[in-house]
Amino acid sequence: MDSDEDDFVFYGTPIQREEDLTSRKKKAIAESSAQLRTLPSWKQEVRDEEGRRRFHGAFTGGYSAGYYNTDLEGRFLGTSSQFDTFGFTAAEVARKEAEKEQKQRPSIIPGPVPDEIVLPATESVGVKLLLKMGWTRGRSIKDSHADALYDARRQARRAFLAFSSDDPKLKITGSESIKDDSENFPEPPVNEDIQSSKSTPVYVLNPKQDLYGLGFDPYKYAPEFRGKSAPGFGIGALEELDAEDEDVYATGYEFEDTYVQEIEEPAKLSLEFQKKKDQKDQGNLPGFRIASNSDYQMERFEAPLIPKDFVPHHAFSGPLEINHKNHGIPPPDVPPPEDSNLKILIEGVANLVARCGKLYEDLSREKNQSNPLFNFLLGGTGHEYYARKLWEAQQKCIDQPKQQLDGKAPPGVKRLTAESRGQILGERPLERSSHDPSPSDASTDVQLQFNLTDTFINSAASFSEIPDSEKPFKDDHAKQERFEQFLKEKYKGGLRSTSSSLAGDMSEAARARERIDFEAAAEAIEKGKHGKGNKLLFPSSMDFIPGGVMQFTSGAAEAKKDLQTEDLMGKKMYPKREEFQWRPSSLLCKRFDLIDPYMGKPPPAPRIRSKIDTLIFTSDSVKSNKVEKFIDVKQDISHVQETANQDISKSIAENEAEVDVEVENIERPVDLYKAIFSDDSDDEGEELNVKKMENQEKKAEVANTALSRLIAGDFLESLGKELGLEVPPDMPYPAQISRNAVLQKEIINENARSGNLMAENNSEMSQNHGLPNDQDIAHESGPSKVDAIYGNMLESGSTKTKGTSISNSKLSRSNRENGDDDRKLKSPVTSHRDYSSSLSSEEERKRKRSRHHRHRRHDAGSDSSSDDERDHHSSRSKGRKKGSSHEKSSGSRKHSKHHKHRRHESPSRSSHRSMEKDDTHPRKEKRRR
Amino acid sequence: MSVEDLPRKESNILKEHDGAVLGVRFNSDGNYILSCGKDRTIRLWNPHRGIHIKTYKSHGREVRDVHVTPDNSKLCSCGGDRQVFYWDVATGRVIRKFRGHDGEVNAVKFNEYSSVVVSAGYDQSLRAWDCRSHSTEPIQIIDTFADSVMSVCLTKTEIIGGSVDGTVRTFDIRIGRETSDSLGQPVNCISMSNDGNCILAGCLDSTLRLLDRSTGELLQEYKGHTNKSYKLDCCLTNNDAYVTGGSEDGYIYFWDLVDASVVSRFRAHTSVVTSVSYHPKENCMVTASVDGTIRVWKT
Repeated sequence: MDSDEDDFVFYGTPIQREEDLTSRKKKAIAESSAQLRTLPSWKQEVRDEEGRRRFHGAFTGGYSAGYYNTDLEGRFLGTSSQFDTFGFTAAEVARKEAEKEQKQRPSIIPGPVPDEIVLPATESVGVKLLLKMGWTRGRSIKDSHADALYDARRQARRAFLAFSSDDPKLKITGSESIKDDSENFPEPPVNEDIQSSKSTPVYVLNPKQDLYGLGFDPYKYAPEFRGKSAPGFGIGALEELDAEDEDVYATGYEFEDTYVQEIEEPAKLSLEFQKKKDQKDQGNLPGFRIASNSDYQMERFEAPLIPKDFVPHHAFSGPLEINHKNHGIPPPDVPPPEDSNLKILIEGVANLVARCGKLYEDLSREKNQSNPLFNFLLGGTGHEYYARKLWEAQQKCIDQPKQQLDGKAPPGVKRLTAESRGQILGERPLERSSHDPSPSDASTDVQLQFNLTDTFINSAASFSEIPDSEKPFKDDHAKQERFEQFLKEKYKGGLRSTSSSLAGDMSEAARARERIDFEAAAEAIEKGKHGKGNKLLFPSSMDFIPGGVMQFTSGAAEAKKDLQTEDLMGKKMYPKREEFQWRPSSLLCKRFDLIDPYMGKPPPAPRIRSKIDTLIFTSDSVKSNKVEKFIDVKQDISHVQETANQDISKSIAENEAEVDVEVENIERPVDLYKAIFSDDSDDEGEELNVKKMENQEKKAEVANTALSRLIAGDFLESLGKELGLEVPPDMPYPAQISRNAVLQKEIINENARSGNLMAENNSEMSQNHGLPNDQDIAHESGPSKVDAIYGNMLESGSTKTKGTSISNSKLSRSNRENGDDDRKLKSPVTSHRDYSSSLSSEEERKRKRSRHHRHRRHDAGSDSSSDDERDHHSSRSKGRKKGSSHEKSSGSRKHSKHHKHRRHESPSRSSHRSMEKDDTHPRKEKRRR
Repeated sequence: MSVEDLPRKESNILKEHDGAVLGVRFNSDGNYILSCGKDRTIRLWNPHRGIHIKTYKSHGREVRDVHVTPDNSKLCSCGGDRQVFYWDVATGRVIRKFRGHDGEVNAVKFNEYSSVVVSAGYDQSLRAWDCRSHSTEPIQIIDTFADSVMSVCLTKTEIIGGSVDGTVRTFDIRIGRETSDSLGQPVNCISMSNDGNCILAGCLDSTLRLLDRSTGELLQEYKGHTNKSYKLDCCLTNNDAYVTGGSEDGYIYFWDLVDASVVSRFRAHTSVVTSVSYHPKENCMVTASVDGTIRVWKT
């Protein structure tokens, strides 16, 4: 676009079209003067010199900001015209061109230069002229200097030559000689020219724009970026090239090269990288050379002189030292005393002393002072022999630990000692210690064979010295022995006994089986040796099942399982089919043109992680309810004073019933809970019954109370013990009565109200369920007796429970009165209901999973989580209420069930009495909120 | 179809890909093939005439799988850039990019109506993407797999995925059920038999396994080839008489479906045979290899 316009302009700047400008300017001036005259200053408009309204400052760097500025003539206005944002004037074109040019020009300040600082300028006339004369940018103007110097030298040399040789030819062929000279000239003129004529050094032309020092390697800590192809489209800058980005298919084919060629400047790039690599290889920084002799020299010290008599042996200053104080000077070998008994005694004592230390000697000396047999200890007969034996035994004791340290002779392993070998070779046995290293049960020829192989084969460090921990048959000593023999036969070669006499008593089949075991074990050990370099492979128990299948209990050895057996197992196991529930999204079904199998069902629950989770959840809510109750109870206690418990129990029963009505509605898969709560719904009808049937309840209630109280009391006690809570002494019945009586007054009042509320709730619910209220009422007549049982149950549990129900009703009343925030206020009530409903449901659950009960109890006992959480739960449980009790069957059946189980349940509630105190405070606060 | 009819003669060799070809697929009528590879391109070919028709470039990393709608109007592809691309075949433009996988995407398939793309990812999930709406969010995420999902197959009503966790999981949309068949070996590739009753699963223990879909029974195992470290394809011939698959040594194997004997094997490529696709009607097969070539085989 620009080029089109500029086609005709070779020199100079195009002439601006003045007419337009001037006319506008005039108009502007006229306007502004008029404005100035007529308008107050705050009404005057800011216009530029061409009469256009201007934005303040933002686009012109503030030059035209403020309203008087525009009246200034000259510089400001001039610049603003140059920076006109909207108009596309000739000046604008010029500026753009200048900007373009500026980019090519070397700049002292790195980076883009702010326009305000450096005003764009077209080339000066001088530059233009120079350019026309053939000067190019970056060259110094006086580049003739070098040539001049060179010329001068040449002249001088020519003169010199001419003078010295005095040869006329030279003068004629001067030009040639000059040519030669120029060839021989140390600094070729071309080079010189280039080097000296450059006025602008490279670092100015390409200014350093970063802050990195010499030798900085940007890839030092990110080698993965070195030389890699550019990241692909859509790959974030932070995505590294991981292991997965490696070219797994790279075998034999170098595709990397082709990638590089695809990139715009492949050759240059690769060259650069090559160079960098080379430099790296040489360990050089660019511009540096490795010094031929370095200043830095490692200071070396001579090794310390070791005294000639130094013995590299650390002497321990311990009891051992005391023991062996005389081991340097062996006592003279003395013939044993004639008395063989004494000889044995001496030997035995010597061994013991050697093993147990000097202390033992002293002790026995002291003990046996009077005993003439032990005279040798006191320097009597046989003392020299004793000293000798003691020394021998001590020597042995010293050797043994050494051997063990070497790992060559663990205690349990047969090891050929000099004695045994001598014995084998038929030598007269020397005096031997009581510890006989050779197994006595092995028959002699086998022993011989063993020892022979041991003798013949030098590489003793293999299976004969399996450390104790590597013995796969540690438990069965005989078997272990056989195993070792097997190993020797297998790996050592040498003589071979065809019939293993060690396993002489075994049946052929058993032997064969054992042999398989041994094979497997040997293989495992071998593998372990190869793989882990003699590390302990079989840490603890490694059992070999007789069937030939190896079982490793340790995880490390698991991989060593026989592949074949694994294969066999794999075939047996796979393929394995499992089925799960899966919920396709409705949209997916739609797109697949299928009917959503879950259509109309509630949205899927967040995945149930495990059964335990859900259990914990329910118990949690239950607990919160309980706590609530207790608090209420406490508050109510103050009101409590006297009389008839019948009404109370009635009210309790009512509340209880009401509670039962509120069936747990759960945000979990429906079927599960359907299964659990299938017969919940009958309760709905009951709550209304309760009111009517109060009187009938009373009798049954009294009768049941005693019984259930007994049971509950027991249970409470045991539960309390279990939970580590202080179990309050069982309240005497009369006391309860009196309390109940007090409550009664209030309750009587409230019964009506709570009843109302209940009815309301009920209707609400029935609406939710699509059940008409009448139906519920029709139901009423039946289960009165059962309700009575409820009441009893509650009563029997503890006073506090009773109070609870009362307070609940109270609460509900207050809720009603307040009435403003239905949801929030109702929550305690609901939660209470929920609790009992969960109780009722619990029986069923109990039947299904016995675990539940424990869980719940545990939770309720230990957990005292925040109020908010409880709130949450209770509100949630409220939500559950809706649409829960779908299918309900006969109430009586259910209640009988309740009766059965309730006994166990109610005490668990009351057992939390002691917790109540702790929970009261936060509760109160919460209520105030 | 006798053994002689197996496509064993090389009729064309297609060399345009720079680098390994990771997948090759016939279109629904078998007239064209689509290939994708390490060079980040998808290429459309006429295998019968050996012509390269079009190149689709937009992927940022290697393209691992491609699938075309039955009406040949749309493509879907996926790859190392963690995205699923939904292409217009004719213009070669990307209509939609589905982002959401947390890892490389190993396989994609259209459903019957080309309304949904189901992708299988390294992030252990299958994701279903809606092609009809403008939403780029997955309409379904199936994340019951325990390891990278390598391959996916769709029927009219089911989504089937094969995973490195050794399972082939069938998700039946009609009844909302997931059926997991555990093979005990990492599953590389799953392929439906043409009658829809069986699934051929290529496992990383150099074994192809044929499963009965209704019972989950293991019907047959096919061995002989090498497949221990690469994702190799396998499939059945169009009449379900033979099982075919590539090998890491460049061979192609044909097994008898019933008795699992190797009826034919020949060296087809100089390197790993990554992908095989059998013509829907004719005796024709295409194979793709790490050596950068696609070869067309006919009888």
